[in-house]
Amino acid sequence: MITFDKVFKRYPGNMDALQNIALEILPAELVFVTGPSGAGKSTLLKLISSLEKPTSGTIIFENMNLSQLQARDIPYLRRKFGMIFQDNKLLYDRNCFENVSLPLAINDIDGIDINRRVRAALDKVGLLNKEKIMPISLSGGEQQRLAIARAIVSRPSILIADEPTGNLDKEYADEIMNIFYSFQQVGVTVIISTHELPITPIKHKKICLIGGKLKDQVSHVPLLS
Amino acid sequence: MFHYFLNHFQALNRALVRIFSNFSSSLIMFVVIGVTLFLPSSGLLIVENISQVSNNIEYDAELSLFLEKGIKQDQIDFIQSALNKTSIIKKTHYESKLTAWDKLQTKLNLNPLNTGISKNPLPDAFFISLNTFNEKEINALIDNLKTIDGVENIFFDAGWVKKLRSILYLLKIGLALLGSILIIILIVVIGNTIRLQTLTHKDEIEVSKLIGATNSFIQRPFIYTGLIYGLGGGLITILSLQAAIEIFNKASINLEAMLGGTFILKSLIWQQNLSVIIVAMLIGCFASFFAAQQSIRKFEIFK
Repeated sequence: MITFDKVFKRYPGNMDALQNIALEILPAELVFVTGPSGAGKSTLLKLISSLEKPTSGTIIFENMNLSQLQARDIPYLRRKFGMIFQDNKLLYDRNCFENVSLPLAINDIDGIDINRRVRAALDKVGLLNKEKIMPISLSGGEQQRLAIARAIVSRPSILIADEPTGNLDKEYADEIMNIFYSFQQVGVTVIISTHELPITPIKHKKICLIGGKLKDQVSHVPLLS
Repeated sequence: MFHYFLNHFQALNRALVRIFSNFSSSLIMFVVIGVTLFLPSSGLLIVENISQVSNNIEYDAELSLFLEKGIKQDQIDFIQSALNKTSIIKKTHYESKLTAWDKLQTKLNLNPLNTGISKNPLPDAFFISLNTFNEKEINALIDNLKTIDGVENIFFDAGWVKKLRSILYLLKIGLALLGSILIIILIVVIGNTIRLQTLTHKDEIEVSKLIGATNSFIQRPFIYTGLIYGLGGGLITILSLQAAIEIFNKASINLEAMLGGTFILKSLIWQQNLSVIIVAMLIGCFASFFAAQQSIRKFEIFK
């Protein structure tokens, strides 16, 4: 589904964020991108979602070479991904319903369908009773769940989460991870960057980066599963 | 197609929400546009009124139609009847060469014996008053009269008409220049306001880009905001003009006794009022389009 081949990313100032990355992510896979700060985890996710362009190498997604993508095609590519950020990037002047409906408005979905799908997404993350509330009134965990609802509402085939539990207590973090696992179970590819690999009860792949280089790429099948 | 209109409706709705949530600053924007457009619009109103007045002034310009020497009385009668049948001729005055010669001699105190002019050099002539300003009609009449046998020369005295027209033309050019300068000022003011709005909606723009919004989708509410600014400003211009006309006309009526007459300003016709609003909306649209486009490009997250 996503293939990296000899991918390099160099930022201004000759700082190599990623060097010679070659990896493959399969459909419906749960992938953890781990490594210490500055390892290149966020850069890797940004390259997948076309927030950044590789300096060299090829990234293939659904037979598209993302490194050669035209600027005008990028918005349409981003609609295929659901993205969740550590700082959740919610709009604090809009209520929960309006935040979640934004991707649907961008996708030209009509009003009745928007209403139905937003309520379904909010229900999925347990926030249906808070649709009229402003995000500022929600707890950290609820805000991150709202961000997940916004990411899943347009039914993407890939969920990309950049340190989604970085600012959360363990209890909230587990709650968020369980939501991700439930999406992986229904066929969504889930890519999560994290400092520490959580104890995961399901089959997953671990991509470990150190200093911008790929240290290892292994699949784990937990005994529990 | 339904989605296209839905999308525009949503953008318009977002623009209206932004305007009403910040109504005081939006109102200031309406007033700025309204007052700025008031200047050229009031100039247009004055020019229009002067043009109407000049059209109503009694016309006393003349065509001077000189006849050939040796023309017979029958032919002169024929020309007279032809002139009488022409609708744009108000009145004609025939002056025979003898009468003209006598008048000239009396006026200049000439004596044929002293000047050496033994023969009357003047031709018979008709002096014609017209009841139109229309240059096309006048030229058509001159062309017709030239084809009549016995007509030697025709002169059209249109000096003052041309002067008035030139003054009005210069006024219109002046107004166009003033209008252009004010339009540029408005574009800068509206553009700057929209640019500031994009900064206050920076988070929304960035999030929208992250989840796949195109630049045109993000731009749309800002363009509608510019359009609404233009609409509000245009309406204020028209209302101000109407108020100014009322005040001026009241004052003019009050001063009637002193001045011995009144000059009543007529309002712009509805097409002209509509043009003012459309121009204001186009200015708003144009300014917001470019300002939003420039600002949104700066928020580009794709590197």
